[in-house]
Amino acid sequence: MSADERPVFVPDPETAARSQMADFLGTCARRTGNTFEDWPTFSRWSAACWRDFWRLFLEWAAPEFEGSPEPVCVGDAIETATFFPDLLLSYTGNLLRSGTPVQEDAVALIVRDESGRRAQWTRRELRSRVEAAARALRARGIGVGDHVVAIARNDDAAIVACLAATGLGATWSSIGPDQGPEAMLARFRQLDPCLLFAVGSQPYQGASRSLRERLEAVVAGLPSVRALVSLDGDVAALDGLDRPVLTLAGLESEGAAGESFPWPCVPFNHPLFVMFSSGTTGAPKCIVHGVGGTLLEHLKEQRLHSDFQSGDRLLFTTSCGWMMWNWQLSALASHTTIVAYDGSPTYPTLDALWRVVAEEGVTVFGTSPAFLGYCRDTAIVPREVVDLAALRAMQSTGSVLGERLYDWVAQNVKPLPLQSISGGTDILGCFVLGNPLLPVRRGEAQSVSLGMDVRSLRTDSLAGDGVGELVCGNPFPSRPLGLFNDPGGERFHQAYFAQNEGLWTHGDFLVLTPHGGARILGRSDGVMNIRGIRIGPAEIYTILLDIPEVRHAMAVEQQAPEDPGGTRLVLLLVLRDGVILDRPLTLRIKKEIAQRSSMIHVPAVMVAVEDLPATHNGKMSERAARDAVNGKIPANLAALRNPACLEALRTHPDLGGRFGGREG
Amino acid sequence: MTRADMRRLLIDWLDDHYHFGDAESKIGSDDASFLDKGVLDSLGFVALVVYLEDTFRVTIDRRSLNRENFDSVDKILAYLEARTGAVP
Repeated sequence: MSADERPVFVPDPETAARSQMADFLGTCARRTGNTFEDWPTFSRWSAACWRDFWRLFLEWAAPEFEGSPEPVCVGDAIETATFFPDLLLSYTGNLLRSGTPVQEDAVALIVRDESGRRAQWTRRELRSRVEAAARALRARGIGVGDHVVAIARNDDAAIVACLAATGLGATWSSIGPDQGPEAMLARFRQLDPCLLFAVGSQPYQGASRSLRERLEAVVAGLPSVRALVSLDGDVAALDGLDRPVLTLAGLESEGAAGESFPWPCVPFNHPLFVMFSSGTTGAPKCIVHGVGGTLLEHLKEQRLHSDFQSGDRLLFTTSCGWMMWNWQLSALASHTTIVAYDGSPTYPTLDALWRVVAEEGVTVFGTSPAFLGYCRDTAIVPREVVDLAALRAMQSTGSVLGERLYDWVAQNVKPLPLQSISGGTDILGCFVLGNPLLPVRRGEAQSVSLGMDVRSLRTDSLAGDGVGELVCGNPFPSRPLGLFNDPGGERFHQAYFAQNEGLWTHGDFLVLTPHGGARILGRSDGVMNIRGIRIGPAEIYTILLDIPEVRHAMAVEQQAPEDPGGTRLVLLLVLRDGVILDRPLTLRIKKEIAQRSSMIHVPAVMVAVEDLPATHNGKMSERAARDAVNGKIPANLAALRNPACLEALRTHPDLGGRFGGREG
Repeated sequence: MTRADMRRLLIDWLDDHYHFGDAESKIGSDDASFLDKGVLDSLGFVALVVYLEDTFRVTIDRRSLNRENFDSVDKILAYLEARTGAVP
């Protein structure tokens, strides 16, 4: 075994034995009569006997619910199976449920920001705020069937508003203030929301940018919105937009007096969150996630795979527009304290976020390969500048976590389990993640998520040992309820089930390792992952339609080991006759994209080409272009009507020499 | 390479990656703070340093990545001049 194949971290046997995973494994062994002599045996059982697994997990995790846990699931087809049809529960009620007196007075939420602001609330105080906001919202008629949307920062206001609205049975969708108005509207207007929560500014790097112009455009494009609610009290940013303006603080004050709030239980498959995912064509998908599926999946990932419990403090670097924001929220159900950080992770000092981690006694720090790579490249040595005694684990997601970053963390942070977790918006959870019972190996997620039949599906077009499409072969509760405005389910089917009938196809490449771990190798579809953020090229194409010099365009992800996150966005352009991609045109295109969408959508490289790969029926093939710019021979060249154009991409001087090299 | 050449390359890089033609107006004056003016965020500084190393063939100690050395056009050019012997 070479040095790199040895585990980079091995859990202490006593700690592993005390973990909730060990406890649950023991419960399953006793109840089923199985011995589960090793992890793969237990993991295989959980996927094969998934009804038994979910029944036992529900019993073990013991969320508050009404009705019957039987049947566990109606139907065996992953696309249509319905979990717990006779069970009712409240997401908010479970996150804020009462505990022991000690738990009631324990800090549930801490907010920090780059300016140094700090505030905290106990579980009792947080529940009181949420109940007050909910009373005021209920008095305004908010409830089941309503959609509320938010332009929010990662702070207490967003959390209170979200829990209040969803507690009443409405759905919640949020987006970070860094998005352009076009991107915001492309998502929100599909939902016909009744209420818009918003902040009035975006502080970042010590400066504060007003969102007034964006809010004007967004509100004008959302005629269904009946009222605007300021999350930060910046009423001036919302005044005069032809809608009543409220404040969250005002709602809390208005609803402060009242009896204890009984959170209404809704069916297990009642909609909770509508998440957005942009693809290669059309408007962003509005993915509807259910109350029970979200709660149960997050309990499983957080209590079993992450061992979250009372006393833990979780800080996950996220904005309100990323699914990790929703994921972090659910940690309240495990009595884990959320440390919500808003602002730049590197302001006012490069090591600012590490200082927050230390000052707040964070026990689990969630971040991304891009941030860890940044720390490595700026020679930050966290263990030398702050006391990280409380920190017991780290999690990383957003993009592939390169092998060397495992060593960087071990040497510069401390020896701890660095858990690579991966899944996404589509399932509001993870397919592969950590495991307190197993060693950590460089470049690998420790295990497949329990209860999921995750496979690496080989196809003829794939090269490399064991590389396949990430598919899931059995029903799971966090499968979305469907897509919004897709009554026949056709778009839902096309998105996840059409490629491999009877299987959930996730859009990632995967290798399953012999010891039960998994390596994610990047996207398998046209969606890009730039600096840890998923980007659908359709949003870029919409903007380019307004630039008359551009005839056709294609956006693809190229491996770029020296760039943050290890990839960069390349924009291939076919220009109208006589047009040259000179500097003014290049800057104009970038500016349009930055202003109308976001900085993350701005291409790192733009090149003009004669032609773009397309199939015989005229469909553009991003996959072929992506293979070409990454130096690979695209599969199934016969399906293309113009394969010769790929040579121009492979040999283009501005795209060449990018292949291989060190990993992120 | 003259100071003016170096400055042009710096402004072009800021335009290419962050300001798309508006870098000069965003900066205002060469002694203005990049951080205070929102010219670059911290991740941008890292990208800038990689660019400067590649373009001017210098090695920049990451421990010198601070406001004293990199927070304005003047400071960056002074840092580079000290290491490349650029002509004022």
